[in-house]
Amino acid sequence: MSDKLNIGNQELGSRLFLGTGKFSSRQAMIDAVKASGTELVTVALRRFNREQAEDDLYGPLSELEGVRLMPNTSGAMNAKEAIRAAMLGRELSKSPFVKLEIHPNPHHLLPDPIETYEAAIELVKQDFLVLPYIPADPVLAKRLEDIGCAAVMPLGAAIGTGKGLSTAEMIKIIIRDANVPVVVDAGLRAPSEAACAMEMGCDAVLVNSAIAAAENPTAMGAAFKTGVDAGRAARLAGLMPTSEVAVASSPLTSFLSVDD
Amino acid sequence: MKLTVNGDQHAHQGNGSIAALLEELGANKAHTALMVNGDVVPSDRWDATKLEENDEVEMLVFVGGG
Repeated sequence: MSDKLNIGNQELGSRLFLGTGKFSSRQAMIDAVKASGTELVTVALRRFNREQAEDDLYGPLSELEGVRLMPNTSGAMNAKEAIRAAMLGRELSKSPFVKLEIHPNPHHLLPDPIETYEAAIELVKQDFLVLPYIPADPVLAKRLEDIGCAAVMPLGAAIGTGKGLSTAEMIKIIIRDANVPVVVDAGLRAPSEAACAMEMGCDAVLVNSAIAAAENPTAMGAAFKTGVDAGRAARLAGLMPTSEVAVASSPLTSFLSVDD
Repeated sequence: MKLTVNGDQHAHQGNGSIAALLEELGANKAHTALMVNGDVVPSDRWDATKLEENDEVEMLVFVGGG
């Protein structure tokens, strides 16, 4: 069965998006990307430094077949900076995707909803496929959908914390009301949490730290692939209803009863 | 020509073209995005762009990020 994910006019075969930060080496990142089966990876922009030319990921990433790039706007403190970062990123990625992230406070890295909203308006006008990283706020998610964002990416927990789906109840409301894909971004630690997000009805998950900081990033990339696939398959299969009381699976006939 | 490149003073010895500056600094043209005085300069406008004294140039590359 075909189960492609459509974001704007782009079609993706994998519902696992990968971040490329925090890996111990370029090769570790490439191996994890391949093992995960992802077709969309995020990248960041940094000033060119001749002394650290090996950090330039353009070459190795562009050699990965079937993998598209989604530059992020990390480092932007406000809408204006994010718009500029997005334009610079598109220059290199040749891709319409942008992960719009504006988180001015380094302590919690939580997104600034007002600056994000303002930047999104402008980036949509400039024909980006805007995927904003947002607090798990159903009202904001709907407003971003209304102005033309291609998807919304509520956080499961703060970036890099591995606290999982701490915002699950809010994400469920976002999913119920959304007409664009919902991608859980940030906070996931275990493939079971990715499976859980997909079972809830998320359209994709974006994972970075959980894979990059695993003891074996390649194996964890593969494990997340399995988790996402299982969760998606379960969602499509339809989970059974829950019940407050026990419902027997076996006949409770009394043929074993012993008469005195 | 005196320029500020990525926040540092740089004495440019070339002809003031973007290509000359990138070459001088050892940057790969295809891997580099550019801003001059806060404005993004798309690569298809590089040939038509002449740097001027005291221009502030930002040269950016892709690195790992989530």
